[in-house]
Amino acid sequence: MAERSASYADAVAAVARAEGNLDVVSDELFRVARALEGSDELRMTLSDRQVPAARRQQIVEDLLGGQALETTTAVVSMIVAAGRSSDLIGIAREAVEINARDRGRSVAEVRTAVALTDDQSGRLSAALSAATGHQVDIKVIVDPSIMGGVVATIGDEVIDGSVRHRLSQLRDTF
Amino acid sequence: MSKRLWAAAAVVVAAVALSASAAGAVGETVGSCIFDELGEAQFEGIEGDGFTAVKELKTQYKAGDKHAKELKEDFEKDLEGCLEAPNPIIPEVTEIIWGGAAFVVLLALMKWKLFPVVKNLMEQRTQRIQDSLDDADRERAEAAEVRARYEAELADAKAEAARLVDEARDQAASVRADLQSRAEADIADMRERAAADVEASKRQAIADLQSEVSDIALGAAEAVLGRSLEDPEMQRQLVDDYIASVSAGQD
Repeated sequence: MAERSASYADAVAAVARAEGNLDVVSDELFRVARALEGSDELRMTLSDRQVPAARRQQIVEDLLGGQALETTTAVVSMIVAAGRSSDLIGIAREAVEINARDRGRSVAEVRTAVALTDDQSGRLSAALSAATGHQVDIKVIVDPSIMGGVVATIGDEVIDGSVRHRLSQLRDTF
Repeated sequence: MSKRLWAAAAVVVAAVALSASAAGAVGETVGSCIFDELGEAQFEGIEGDGFTAVKELKTQYKAGDKHAKELKEDFEKDLEGCLEAPNPIIPEVTEIIWGGAAFVVLLALMKWKLFPVVKNLMEQRTQRIQDSLDDADRERAEAAEVRARYEAELADAKAEAARLVDEARDQAASVRADLQSRAEADIADMRERAAADVEASKRQAIADLQSEVSDIALGAAEAVLGRSLEDPEMQRQLVDDYIASVSAGQD
């Protein structure tokens, strides 16, 4: 499944490179993936094979039309029509990784309880770059379930500074 | 065999001696003796001999002649001599000859016919007795052998019985020891489980109490923290602290 997601991501990256907007497309794919994570109804609808492919593509175009590049809309519509909606989150993650590698950087998925300011994003990116030894782009996901603090995932490494994690540690200590 | 022969000869001699008589000794009867005495009689002073002399003596005696009386008394003594028995020990020669001949013939017949038969009968009887003795010995030996075998079997049976009893005793002891060890093991196991159960219950109670206390404490902390986290400044401070810790190489 990961291999299939990587193949789709490579195809998406190739299309975006051809269009000269891989950076934007990967970012928009990441946002679409976050939207799917946050909406069970949308995820189930786009994955439901009982719904005609044309209908599912129409839903994608209705959601993204005018708010994303046509390239992004086209590749998402193609993935949904191919019945790979469930792989869209992994494809988006791989596309972001490919974009970062093209620019000689890494991607850190950062979850926070509230949105970060630009200053916080810049300082966090600089801190993670210093900690890992190479340039890191951060993709922020607002996730109130972590209650507070930050959870950064860079590849297989997780740096969990969330309030939820601290409470869990405190509960384990008891 | 020679002793028996001599004994038979002695019996024959004794029978001949005892059967001897006065008349028998001279080979004539009393009557012939008296007849001979009368025929050969001669008396002093009397003419003639034989019956004539006896008849004359009788006449003179009846006439009262004293000398005739003496002669008559002497002649009567001679006649009475016919009545006297011969020598009881030594028979007459003829008798010895005839008796010896008869004895020899009888002895020869006995040796020729009787003794072999008697000997054969005696040997058969001896053999029969010997066979009986041998049979008795053999039967006694067989009885002894049977008895020995019986005693051996009895001893074996006793030994087997003793072995079985010992084996049964050993098995009983083993079973008893096994049951005792099992019972002790079960008791120890039950005690251990009971102690473990008590310990587990205690730990569970402590854990439950700790969990309950921690839940209460964490609940209170989360309540306080929740109110604090509603403050944007608190959220900003948490992010800044995280950035500072990452910068310092801490998580």
